[in-house]
Amino acid sequence: MNKYFKQAIRGITHNKSRTFLTTLGIMIGIGTVVLVLSAGEGFKSYINSQVEMFGSNTLSIETVIPASTKQRNANANTSNNIQNNAGTNAVPITTLKNKDIEDIKSIPNVKNAYGAVLSQQIVSYGNISKNTFIFGANASRFDIDKGVIASGRPYTEEENRGLGQVAVLGSTVATDLFGNIDPIGKLIRVGNYNLEVIGVYEPRGGLGTTDDDQIFIPITTLQKKYLGIDYLFYGIVELYDGNKAETTALDVTDMVRRNHSITDPSKDDFSVKTQAQNLETFNTILSAVTFLLIAIALISLVVGGVGVMNIMYVVVTERIGEIGLKKALGARNKDILFEFLIEAVLLTLIGGIVGILGGALFAYAVAKIAQSFNFAWSFIVPLYGIILSLSMSMIIGVVFGVFPARNASKLNPIEALNKE
Amino acid sequence: MLIQLKNITKEYDNSSAAVTKVLRGISLDVEEGEFLAIMGPSGSGKSTLMHIIGFLDRSTAGTYLFDGENIEEFTDDELARIRNERIGFVFQSFNLLARTSVLDNVILPLTYSKMKDHVALATKALEAVGLSNRLNFLSNQISGGQKQRVAIARALVCNPKVIFADEPTGNLDSKSGTTVMSILGRLNDEGRTIILVTHDRTVAEHAHRIITIRDGSIVSDEKNANPKKSEMIEEES
Repeated sequence: MNKYFKQAIRGITHNKSRTFLTTLGIMIGIGTVVLVLSAGEGFKSYINSQVEMFGSNTLSIETVIPASTKQRNANANTSNNIQNNAGTNAVPITTLKNKDIEDIKSIPNVKNAYGAVLSQQIVSYGNISKNTFIFGANASRFDIDKGVIASGRPYTEEENRGLGQVAVLGSTVATDLFGNIDPIGKLIRVGNYNLEVIGVYEPRGGLGTTDDDQIFIPITTLQKKYLGIDYLFYGIVELYDGNKAETTALDVTDMVRRNHSITDPSKDDFSVKTQAQNLETFNTILSAVTFLLIAIALISLVVGGVGVMNIMYVVVTERIGEIGLKKALGARNKDILFEFLIEAVLLTLIGGIVGILGGALFAYAVAKIAQSFNFAWSFIVPLYGIILSLSMSMIIGVVFGVFPARNASKLNPIEALNKE
Repeated sequence: MLIQLKNITKEYDNSSAAVTKVLRGISLDVEEGEFLAIMGPSGSGKSTLMHIIGFLDRSTAGTYLFDGENIEEFTDDELARIRNERIGFVFQSFNLLARTSVLDNVILPLTYSKMKDHVALATKALEAVGLSNRLNFLSNQISGGQKQRVAIARALVCNPKVIFADEPTGNLDSKSGTTVMSILGRLNDEGRTIILVTHDRTVAEHAHRIITIRDGSIVSDEKNANPKKSEMIEEES
């Protein structure tokens, strides 16, 4: 084996700039694979950190349109075209109530819970105004959520029950409205009411509309004064033991079904999800995207492999004399085959290693940029990604190197010698 | 008898209708330890004959016994093994690996053999041709005469029975050529069989036996009672 490597390395170092250009395609392909895998891991770490902030030992209860109702509406739509189906999914589910949340709190593994309602209102202070998401929740949200209040205080459950006109601002909202002024104690106009700012959150970072862009107020205030409703959009349940999330989710489901007088699971107007399930959904989507990107990178790898094959054919032609000499000196066809095959594999392997380094460097840059925007994004190059990349480069070397190498090994020594 | 050729023919079937007959029934016996020169003008078939005797090519018909073994029955891998272990080649254009050290060039045949101690064997072979002070020079940093001596060392390194030299002095000045011929002469004195292919009468006169080929047939086979001895001329180093 050693002797083949010696000859192969001699071949590769023979023309270094050509070696570099030949392996460029492999470098780009492998670099992309590593970047995609690494960025995927980084994104996962970010999502996990978001989940941590949200509370990892939690369940969520969301309202859903019962499967059986959907079916009935669909049937109605097909049988009667006059009925407009636009409203079918817009009909809000109004059955999830605060009582459900209070009852859930009595389940043994449940530590705490809150209900939530969302709205959008014009918020103004002085002459600055802003269209902002208003998040209404019970005071227990401040115990469950991991967000840190930088100044001031959260509202209390008493303020919640008494329809208190108080607000806790996300950091972006606070900066936008107040600039350098201390917002605590100031009155802001939210929709038709004046609310007193009692607390401001520390920045949390994140994608899209984040907690930083929201205002948090007592849920009863939002329900009664703004929306005129008595139901919840969703609820969050905190658990003592996150390992029992699955069974507790079943207990919660039973409890809410009893409250809603549901006997047939297909008529459920809510769904209980564990964080594991939420993460699973996210991971499924992430894997699909990752596979798609890797498939694109594979095309680049195939193109790179064809490049390597092309050059190996040129190299065989260039070294016809040398091949003839080696055969005259006693090299068997097998020896020549291995020399060229190992040269091709070394070429792609070099491309692979440079690609891994380059891809990791890019992934590091992505992580640094994300971190500079306050994302909890870790730089991870997964080991399986490195192993995958290295084995892919070697396989490409073998696949695309075997034909030129076979050509070389089959050369007639005299013809080969006479070409010199 | 080391080499026994009986009625060897070689034909090339070109795409055109004509079949080119290069060798027309060559019969030749070579004893171990002979110094044989094969002479003939270009196109006479002498190189083809050397390729067949040197296991680089197969004859179209006829039998070839080497050391009593019938070569026609050998596989390609077995022929490669014989080329590696029992014979050595010296070519007109040296055929050294470019940008490779003198030592590595001589090691090359050993890498295809089962022998060990490659560096020691190659160093010894280079000492035998007077180049032990050039081991780490690259093949393009030495003179033509030195290159051919490296090629002789390479032919010697596996300790073969026969050395084939195809126009070994063809690309050399007369001084270097004389040195190369004196080395070949000395190797023959040590008992090695030398088969020399040349069109140059003065080179052929170093051999003890000269056969002449014309149009694919042996036209003369003469003993050289008074072979020329060349003095080793040391090149400036």
